[in-house]
Amino acid sequence: MKINSAVKLGTVATFAAVLLAACGSSSNSSSEASKQTLNWMENSALPSMDSSTATDVVSGETMNNTGEGLLRIGKNSSIHPGVAKSYTKSKDGKTYTFNLRKSNWSNGDKVTAKDFVYAWQRTVDPKTASQYAYMYAQVKNANAIMNKKKPVSSLGIKAEGNYKVVVTLTQATSYFPSLVASPMFFPQNKSVVQKYGKKYATNAQDNVYNGPFKLTYWTGTSDNWTLSKNTKYWDAKNVKLKKINFKTMKDPQTSLSQYQSGKLDATYLSGQQPKNYKNDKQYVERKSASTFYIELNEKKDSMMKNKKARQALSLAINRNQFVNKVLADGSTAAKGLVSTGLAENKGTDFNTAAAVPSATSQDLAKAQKLWKQALKETGRSSYSLTLMADDTPAGKNSAEFIQSQWAKLDGLKVTNSNLPFKTRLSRSQNGQFDAVISAWGADFPDPISFLSLFTSGNSYNNGKWASKAYDKYVAAATGKDANNNTARWNDMVNAQKTILNDQGVIPVYQQGKAQLVKSDVKGLIYFPTGANWDFSRAYIAK
Amino acid sequence: MAKYLAKRIFYLILTLFIVITLTFFLMKLLPGTPLTNQAKLSKSQIALIYEQYGLNKPVWQQYLLYLAGAVRGNFGTSFQFSDQPVSYLLSSRIGPSLQIGLQAMILGVIVGIVVGAFGAMRQNSWVDTTATVVSILGISIPSFVLAVLLQYYLGLKLGWFPIAEWGGFIYTVLPTLALGATPLAESARFVRTEMVDVLSSDYIELAKAKGLSRTGVIYHHALRNSLIPLITIVGPLAVNIMTGSMVVENIFSIPGIGEQFVKSVLTNDYPTIMGLTIIYSFMLCVVLLFTDILYGIVDPRIRITGKAN
Repeated sequence: MKINSAVKLGTVATFAAVLLAACGSSSNSSSEASKQTLNWMENSALPSMDSSTATDVVSGETMNNTGEGLLRIGKNSSIHPGVAKSYTKSKDGKTYTFNLRKSNWSNGDKVTAKDFVYAWQRTVDPKTASQYAYMYAQVKNANAIMNKKKPVSSLGIKAEGNYKVVVTLTQATSYFPSLVASPMFFPQNKSVVQKYGKKYATNAQDNVYNGPFKLTYWTGTSDNWTLSKNTKYWDAKNVKLKKINFKTMKDPQTSLSQYQSGKLDATYLSGQQPKNYKNDKQYVERKSASTFYIELNEKKDSMMKNKKARQALSLAINRNQFVNKVLADGSTAAKGLVSTGLAENKGTDFNTAAAVPSATSQDLAKAQKLWKQALKETGRSSYSLTLMADDTPAGKNSAEFIQSQWAKLDGLKVTNSNLPFKTRLSRSQNGQFDAVISAWGADFPDPISFLSLFTSGNSYNNGKWASKAYDKYVAAATGKDANNNTARWNDMVNAQKTILNDQGVIPVYQQGKAQLVKSDVKGLIYFPTGANWDFSRAYIAK
Repeated sequence: MAKYLAKRIFYLILTLFIVITLTFFLMKLLPGTPLTNQAKLSKSQIALIYEQYGLNKPVWQQYLLYLAGAVRGNFGTSFQFSDQPVSYLLSSRIGPSLQIGLQAMILGVIVGIVVGAFGAMRQNSWVDTTATVVSILGISIPSFVLAVLLQYYLGLKLGWFPIAEWGGFIYTVLPTLALGATPLAESARFVRTEMVDVLSSDYIELAKAKGLSRTGVIYHHALRNSLIPLITIVGPLAVNIMTGSMVVENIFSIPGIGEQFVKSVLTNDYPTIMGLTIIYSFMLCVVLLFTDILYGIVDPRIRITGKAN
């Protein structure tokens, strides 16, 4: 075969011509965008729309805007009526009766009590293999069903007629209303689920919606998806946005460029970006309900079991310097184990009520003193430990910073070990560590979400810290005081004070997200747990 | 030829089989579970979910089940994209990756040949120096740096091309340029070196002495002989483009499979890891087979069917 020069030159010429032609016609798609369109970015693609099996934030956020549960979460995690226009709670706090309004699915079917019964049963059914089924633990018989000891029909939810749902719990659960407002408690249309079978909720078409918006474009694996206003939604008259275009931006710089060129109405910032835009008018910080804390392995040796040693390690850390100078991404210094802004009682934030400043602030002189005493008490002259953390940029920054802070303690040698998330997790769970930077994000807006982790013997209590007083407070909050708001609140306050006073964990920082939002975007509703965003009241002011 | 092809295809299948087997068992050594919510699940909860996915079976059984499925075209269901069959996940996302990869390859190699040839023909002139500088830059600047520079200047500042996303040929220009730079530089360097060599050989002198035109000598004799070593590097270049695409796709928000590969390994998404490994190794095998066949076409001295009598 001869390589024909003419063909070859022709190819080059065609290529050049196409390139040049391409230069001339830059796309003009943004001009056609109508007024009430929101262009929103996510860091990862939408992986699922099945409320029984979805596990991630992007799915939660999309479902929260295309669906609606018995109740709805609003600003600052407040609870509003949803499909249920009202509800009553029995005296013992174990039975909830929800009165449903007449509302429709996007295909015109009526949303009835049976849709809730079906969805809840489907989620706890072991066959569904839901990773969030444990959220149903308080619903009567849920645990037995998940462990295949009882049939799904025994779940504590009954439909009384078409418009009344009665839920029975195993024990009073004060945060139950916020649970039923989250996507994993949303209704499902049985006939639709069965009609599409395996394809149900795997793309925009094979699904129905009962929320403010409906999904109108999504192939199931695409990086872009579109929500359009759902005219069948019962409160559609208050929904102003016509369309929301979601775009996956994996690279923060790309996302920022798209924002600057007007292709996005908001972008999350990361790396150096928050520092550069901190004084920008469009800069916003969003608090997440996630706390990062250090667990010390008390099973390792007498030093880690020594309270003074633990306190010294905590007192050596300058948390404000860390969040402001090192992370500088909207994160804040931890004020407790529970995240700030998660829950309040009579206008007082949990961390204000349950503050132990000495356990979450720096005092180097005191740290030195306590450290020396701890070394002496355990018969040591020096001590070395390995600090384990994630191998993410934030994980590396945290480990390096804490290493530098701990290096100030005389006779302490710290080695860092940054590992991939899953390796870190399995080593934590198996007790193969000295000190580890762990994190927990609350699933629902209640302090117990954090506090229940550190009871003795709990599988998330990696450091094996144990306190009888703490166990007692947590047991009271979830047991005998569960239906008494004031007593329960005090139990939880005492629990946090107990763990902080004993430095059972070393809280470091509360995660935050820095974001740029165009100033004409109004009415966004953000809440720190679960789905994070509600766009039903958002609009573009122009 | 047919016999040769049959043999090569047999080897291809054998290679894939070995790759599948090794990957499967290595992958099972990864710590952690494919469950995204693993951090919040207890051991017994994980065990219950594993039962549903058949992950509680011994690894050799899982392996045999996987092979049995794969032969019938069933590559399992993704964990990251829950309920999506891996075959659908990959087939719906491979298009953009292939398009960008092929465009980068074609652009890189063709322009590379032209640049290299011009450099050799005007050896030690400014043309040659420029060509050399271009190839050195192309090799030394990683594709992700070039991608960001192109995006900033041609996308954001000048507004000639879209900054990111996917939606038509115009969206492929910047990623193609970013990915094509290395193959361009590599092939330019190879063609130049080889052609300088060829141009000083006896048969070129003979051709010139016989009175052939300069272009005739270059195209019919020099260039063709210079292309043989270029074919050798096409395989490695293809690998280079495949790995480069993982980063470039992220930067330009291209809905391809590059990112899925990294993410599936990080999240223990077993079926997706397997699916992608099979695709990548298949593509590489095909490229290698293709280059071997090309050899025979470009250089008649290389007989792929064995001894030429």
